[in-house]
Amino acid sequence: MWIPIALSRDVPAATTRAVILDGMELVVWRGETGPVQIWEDRCPHRGMRLSFGFVRGNSLNCLYHGWQYGEGASCERIPAHPDLVVPPTIKANAYASTETGGMIWVNLPATDGPPPVFLAGRPIASLAIAAPAQTIIDSLGQPAAEAQLVETKLDGISLNIGWHSPGTDRTMLHVVALDPGNVESKALIALHQLRASAERTGP
Amino acid sequence: MTVEAAALDQWYTIGAINDFAPGVSTRRLLGHDLTITRTRDSFAVDNLPVRTDYGHLWTTLGAPQRPLFDIPESREPDRRAVYCGAVRVRASGLRLIENFLDLAHFPYVHTDILGIEDKPEVARYEVEQRRDVDELWATKCEFFQPRAAASAEGGQMSKYTYRVTTPFNVMLYKTPPSAPDRWDVIALFVQPVEPNLSIAHPYMLVIDDVSTEAELIGFQQMIFLQDKIVLENQRPLLLPLQPGRETPTRADLSSVVYRRWLKEKALTYGTEARTDLA
Repeated sequence: MWIPIALSRDVPAATTRAVILDGMELVVWRGETGPVQIWEDRCPHRGMRLSFGFVRGNSLNCLYHGWQYGEGASCERIPAHPDLVVPPTIKANAYASTETGGMIWVNLPATDGPPPVFLAGRPIASLAIAAPAQTIIDSLGQPAAEAQLVETKLDGISLNIGWHSPGTDRTMLHVVALDPGNVESKALIALHQLRASAERTGP
Repeated sequence: MTVEAAALDQWYTIGAINDFAPGVSTRRLLGHDLTITRTRDSFAVDNLPVRTDYGHLWTTLGAPQRPLFDIPESREPDRRAVYCGAVRVRASGLRLIENFLDLAHFPYVHTDILGIEDKPEVARYEVEQRRDVDELWATKCEFFQPRAAASAEGGQMSKYTYRVTTPFNVMLYKTPPSAPDRWDVIALFVQPVEPNLSIAHPYMLVIDDVSTEAELIGFQQMIFLQDKIVLENQRPLLLPLQPGRETPTRADLSSVVYRRWLKEKALTYGTEARTDLA
């Protein structure tokens, strides 16, 4: 299942971001160039969360001991042993990812389907709501068939709203505006009303 | 929750002597609430055995096979005893001990203090299990340190010896900047509160007539708070003993021997549940 877990804008080059998806801790990161990558947020050495790590070039380095991971999640360098050729079995746990429609997507649990394709838009915000996704999305319209995204209008603004669930009764919306023009503040007001109403309704 | 004998039959600190007010106070150890009564300089901890050594109050919920470990340096009159304050850490106490034994994190967690990124190599060192005293000793450890202690004025190749006296108590001997022929002693006494919640009691016996008390405490607290960020973000918070859950290298020899020692003792408090055992 392809699930949007962040706005592309919110993971700039050479940064990491921690995301929780259904209780699973993920690190979303981007090298100085190259594609976005999504891994389990755990260094295989001592279990340190890789989202605390630092990006150099196109590698992600663990904060704890500087173990360096490259594209494909293989460990390339263990600083405590500078001359060691790292065995290829030492890898972070990587998941398939893609970027489309202004959002970062993970294929988790993995399915055979191709990654989705959506129109690019103007990123508005990711928004945490203390309510289950179902009650929020039902009020917005019919989601896309193969992806967690609904195209909708809020206060007259056309939006693509993707979502993921960090845990029970919690939802993160990822919102992209499809209209040209300066709609950010108007969209944000509409989204905050949506949140207030969803949290009032309760699970 | 029942606690296994391997964890019960040990001595634990429940705090620095000076931190107990006269009268009644409470502490928690291995999931048990304890009531401490202080009358001037004498202590009662429920009806449990009590020791007051190394500036700390010690007790046990079981029947330790050995007396509380000895720290001979505590009797050297020119050493300064420094209490660095109790630090609550959301992690297994065993993770704290393992981190304390670790050299390879110095350049990354204590950057430009206990290590620099340009010199991350961990040279071969030795670890032995001393069966007569049931302790682990890691010897011949060396690491380049730009600022090895509060009183350091330049980089030095620090020499370390580590001594694990019980599963939750550890200390190190380290060359002080001021007296290359002596050893500073830095101990970490861990009070396991719950399997994944600990209180660390760092304690030092140092040769240092330069630094103020505040400088010594400040230095140690800075180091420990850097460690705390790592300790609370390791997954799992409990120590995994199951083969394959983590990936040790030669630099992790201390950790490998420590985990083997814990398994030999059948210690499970603060460890991750295993799925590979019948």
